Parts: sequence; C-alpha cells; structure tokens
Amino acid sequence: MLDVLQAASDGLLFGATYALIGIGFTLVFGVMHKINMAYAAASVGGAYAGLLVLQVAAGAPPWLVFLAAFAAGGLLGWLVYLACFHFIPLANPLATLMSTVGMLLLIDEVIVHATEGMPLSYPAMFDDVMLRAGELTLRGDLLLVFGISVLAMIALLLLLYRTRLGLATRAVSQQPVAAQLCGIRLVRVNALTFVVTGLLGGLAGALIGASVGALSPLLTTPLTVKGLIVTVIGGLGSIPGAIIAGLLVGGFESVLQMFRGVTERDLYVMLLLFVFLIFRPGGIFAGSASRD
Amino acid sequence: MDFYFGLAQLIGVHTLLGLSAYIVLLTGQVSLAQAGFFAVGAYTAGMLTVLGGWHLVPALGASALGGAAVACAVGFPALRVKGLMLVIATLAFGEGVRLFFFNFDYQIAKGDIKVGPLGGEGFRQIRYFPENGWSTGEVMLFIWLFVAAALALLWWFDRSRYGTVLRAVGEDELAAQSVGINLTAVKVSAMTVGGAIAGVGGGLYAHYTTHIEHASFNILVATFAIAYPIVGGLRSVFGTLLAVVFVQGVLVEGLRFMGDWRNLLFGALILLAMNLRPTGFLGGRRA
Repeated sequence: MLDVLQAASDGLLFGATYALIGIGFTLVFGVMHKINMAYAAASVGGAYAGLLVLQVAAGAPPWLVFLAAFAAGGLLGWLVYLACFHFIPLANPLATLMSTVGMLLLIDEVIVHATEGMPLSYPAMFDDVMLRAGELTLRGDLLLVFGISVLAMIALLLLLYRTRLGLATRAVSQQPVAAQLCGIRLVRVNALTFVVTGLLGGLAGALIGASVGALSPLLTTPLTVKGLIVTVIGGLGSIPGAIIAGLLVGGFESVLQMFRGVTERDLYVMLLLFVFLIFRPGGIFAGSASRD
Repeated sequence: MDFYFGLAQLIGVHTLLGLSAYIVLLTGQVSLAQAGFFAVGAYTAGMLTVLGGWHLVPALGASALGGAAVACAVGFPALRVKGLMLVIATLAFGEGVRLFFFNFDYQIAKGDIKVGPLGGEGFRQIRYFPENGWSTGEVMLFIWLFVAAALALLWWFDRSRYGTVLRAVGEDELAAQSVGINLTAVKVSAMTVGGAIAGVGGGLYAHYTTHIEHASFNILVATFAIAYPIVGGLRSVFGTLLAVVFVQGVLVEGLRFMGDWRNLLFGALILLAMNLRPTGFLGGRRA
C-alpha cells in the first residue's frame, strides 16, 4: 500500500508538467477553437533550445537553462502561430490541423537532426534532496518541478483575470465578433495567446527534462498524446479541468507503471481517455450531457 | 526495373492508406487512427499466413474484417464526440494500438526457428511472396488490383446515394440530420469502410516488406494517411492518388539525393502546401 502511495505521490508531482502542457492545448482551443498539434513538440523544442545556454557558457546554473527554455518556448510559440495559423483561413478546420501536424513533424526532425537522435542529459536542481513526509519520500527535484509549475499556473491565472490582455483573451474566447466590435485586435490576441502558451510550454519542457534527467526526441509523441488526453479529460477549454486532469494522469500513470511496467503504462492512460469519452465526454467538470 | 516495381508497391499501399482516411474525411471527421487499423490488418494477415499457413487472399479478407471490426468498435464511443475531440480520441487510439503491438508476443516454433510477433523486435519472416516464387512485378500487379478495386468502390460510392449522404453529413451535420439522415450510422459506416481498406493495405504492406514492427505504425503514418486526401483535395478519389504519387514518387524518391534532410522537408512541405492551397490540389470550396 505504501508503494502505491509513493508511486502516486511521485506521479502527482510529475503530473504538474502534464497539467502545464494540457493548459497550453486548452488555452489555444478556448481562444481560437483550434488544436495546436505542434504544441508539445514546440515545448520539447524550447527545452532543447534552453540547453544552448550550456553551449555558450559551460557550467551555467540550471535556473538559467530553465529561463532560456522559457524564453525560447515563447519565441517558438510565436513562430508556430505565424507558420500554421496566420496565413491560413481559419474557417477551414482541416488546414490548420494539417499545418500544425506538419509543424510537429518538422520540429521533431529538426531536433533529431541537431542532436543526431541521441538523448541529451538535462540539468536538474535539488536532485540530491530527499524530504520525508511520514512514511513517504518526496524527491527534491520533483518538488521543485511541482512548485515551479504551480507558480506558472498562478501567474497565468493572474494574467488572465487581472490584466487587460487577459480580459481581451477571455473576451475573444467568449465572443470573437463582439470582442472585435469593442476594438480588441483579434490577430494580436491570437498571436499573444500562442506566445503565452509557448512560454508555459518551454518551461514545462525544461521541467520534464530536469525531472527525467534527459531529453529525447522520443518524448514528443507521448507528450502530445498525453497533453491532449489531459485536455479532453479536463474538458476542452477548461483551465482548472486541465490542472486536475494533469495531476490525475500523472498519478495514474505512475501507479500503473509500478504494477505493469513502463512499456505498458501508456496503454492504460489511453484506456482512461476512452473511459472518459464514454462516460463523461465533456470532461470532469461538465455535466454528463454536454458535448463538444 | 525492380526499383520502379518496388516504388509502385509502396505507392499502391499508401494509396489504400490514403483512401481509408478519404472516406472518413468525406463525413467531415478527421481520424488519426488509420495507422492503427493499418497495423491491425498487417499483424492479422501476417500471423494468418505465417503462423496459420493460410493463403494470402483469405488472410487479406480477414485483415479487412479485422480492420473494419476495430474501426467500428472505435467509431461508436469516439463519434459520440465530434470534430476536434475525435482527432484526439483517434490519435490516442492509434498510439494505443502501436503500444499494444510493442507489448505483443506470440511466437511458435516452425522448423528450427521461432516465428511470430515479438514485442519491440517486431514480426520478421513474413515470407509469403518469396516462398511462393512471386516476382516483384507480380506482387506489384497484385497490390494494384486491390488499389483499383478500392478506387472503383469509392468512386462508385461518390456517385451513389451513399456518397451524397456522406458529403451531406460532411457539409452540414444539422441540415443532414434534419432531413432524416442518421448521423451515427453514416459516420460509423464510413469509419468501418475506411478500417477495412486500411486493413487490406496493412496486410499487403506486411507481406511486401516481410518485416513489421510497432514503429512502422507511428503517428507519422497516421499523418501520411490524412495528409494524402487533404493535400490532394476531397473533390475526387483521384486527388488522393495524385497526392500519394506526388509525395512518395516525387518528394520522397526524387529528393533521395538530399539524404537525411529529406525528412525535414516533409513537415515543411505540408506546412507550405497548407499555406498556399488550404483546400488541396483538386480541392473545391471546402476542404
């Protein structure tokens, strides 16, 4: 029983990164009613770009790498917007889906090309710290990951509910036409949404790299799938839903990994998605009758 | 000459993959699960000919049934939600199938070697064609027989009442529903037909490559499947064929001199194509 609790708490802490990825998907969906399939790949790309700091200044502290990944993620988010959304008619849902999938493959291949497909080790902080809470052991690096993720989420919520940009973003997500009539520039809000989600993504990528200890291009597909699963379980467009669902998926997968091994655990995460699709298609917080 | 026959085999199999996504796209649904149905077909046909000693044609029939059954089973829960949710559900399903075959072992001894799928190492020795003395040209003709049949079937669908119903659902679900079309039945049937076509394609793929593994059915293959009809346009089945010839024949083979950079180009070209022609080569008003 203790093992299960230990696995669940580790997974819960790591799940904060899934929550960040899920928020990125859900925020873009809320504002534009589009899925940005390239999001998880761009996040991993941002994390890789953070490693460039170590190339320039060897021995730079990990927080500088995280910061660089954060900034690079924002830049990548803007590039994704420009390449996949800006010039494509938004009334055509297939076109932007396809363009973002193209971007996903492109980022993936650029990473494979730049690193020759080898995993790169990622710096971590407090990885030698162990906290004891009763019978449980909490890894210091995972606690840091969790803490930074929570701070990022709080910052995002403050941005959305306490600033003019957040007000504009929420207005666009509710009524794009009315928002435009009030003088909100739609294109600018859309682009900024991508920058903001990109920042979160770069940070999430760096945190995942730090807690796993390495980055590999093999991360992009599972991360895309899990981020999307988190988005669906939390309900498309719901930020609190994405946070809860991210923690849930993290804990669930960690427990399943303990019982069934690392190669099978993702299979059960996908089964979890189908359970939700059948019984609660609108996500955790929606009424059971609601549909997309 | 064998090189061109080999290329024609590849184009044939990918056309089947593209057509399986085409019919689903007609109803306005995007399925990223086609690689999963493709995998089910590949493993079914491979196991039946290698382990069961079946003739290839009934084995392909079984892959069609397998693909169709799985597609139908996925269709029901997944189609309760629509649009973007379906993309996510089918993406997760396709990855689920891949992970299933990553963990799937079923080997029996045949002579002095063990044959059958072995988890991450994949399924080797699907040697039906060489064992029965088929030449590359004959294999190519055999594959194109199925491609022609699938093209003809979908072309005929397009001209029948069923095709009209599919497009009606794709154009406007609400309007289609209000004239008495059963949305779920139409979508699940399109998904099932698509699953059958992908299953046959997978069965053929397993036999001409002789070796399949979980990585042969990853998200890239699912992307290829929907990319063909979208890039080719949904006006006609021949758009899909054209897109496959263009992508596999011109881009992948023609750019071979670029080495590793070729892979980079694929994503970039999808991006470019969507920016320049969002409704596809032979696209109409809507994509």
